Amino acid sequence: MADSEQDNTDRGDGDNLKSDKLFTLKKWNAVAMWSWDVECDTCAICRVQVMDACLRCQAESKKDFYGRQDCVVVWGECNHSFHYCCMSLWVKQNNRCPLCQQEWSIQRMGK
Amino acid sequence: MITLRGKLKKDGDVSNSKSKEYNKRASVRDKLLVKEVQEMEQTLPSTCQVTFDDPHRLHEFILMIVPDEGYWAGGRFYFQISMSEEYNMAPPKVKCTTKLWHPNISEEGAVCLSILRQNSIDGMGWAPTRKLKDVIWGLNSLFTDLLNFDDPLNRDAAELYLKDKDSFRSKVKDYVRQYAKR
Ligand SMILES: [Zn+2]
Ligand SMILES: [Zn+2]
Ligand SMILES: [Zn+2]
Repeated sequence: MADSEQDNTDRGDGDNLKSDKLFTLKKWNAVAMWSWDVECDTCAICRVQVMDACLRCQAESKKDFYGRQDCVVVWGECNHSFHYCCMSLWVKQNNRCPLCQQEWSIQRMGK
Repeated sequence: MITLRGKLKKDGDVSNSKSKEYNKRASVRDKLLVKEVQEMEQTLPSTCQVTFDDPHRLHEFILMIVPDEGYWAGGRFYFQISMSEEYNMAPPKVKCTTKLWHPNISEEGAVCLSILRQNSIDGMGWAPTRKLKDVIWGLNSLFTDLLNFDDPLNRDAAELYLKDKDSFRSKVKDYVRQYAKR
């Protein structure tokens, strides 16, 4: 289960680090918590870290967080990132990035 | 600090699916508000005061603004602020409950403030990245920096200002004396 790797304390191989130069690893401690550059750290819509399930998905899945697999991160051409759930609600009424007001178009999605 | 534990628990007990959907959205709103209300209270301008009638209903409160400069200085202006369960996809609803003579607030209490607009193409309207403290700041500034005579809600007020600033000033003062002293 993908979830378990978040709690895995001895993942020393740096698997997550090699491919993606967009990110800066700021913190790495024993419980494997990390944070990205402040800019894409927290979803500015629901104010939950983009790596966690969004506030709405958390409200849906009671105590377990199995829902988080579907709750992906989306990056716009402007490089701002949000939960896909949060952003898809917003673009229904205004197709702009709420942070920089640029026309919203998806650059990529993932975790 | 206000907590929502009692309310959230009660919501969880309701089981039919329509009210479940409502409660889910309301609980998202309430979770956002727990943080936003705290932040709002910590950054409240000195001219503002916020009152919750029911501490379990963070989505309804009264804002009092007592401008310390400008035309409306010395008046007490009350605003009713509420957030529907669509918050923060939808902006807060704001009504001014003190009658006043102001180009951007109608005598009936409608408030013209760009960030409170649900749909706007200019990027100045509501966005879910905005918070309660931005709304408070905006309303407070309507009495000073954001005062705007170009796109008025109260046309007569704007016209009077352009024609005769002294009459404008004294009419504002009359309203303050009559309606905005407590
Ligand atoms: Zn989010
Ligand atoms: Zn989600
Ligand atoms: Zn952006």
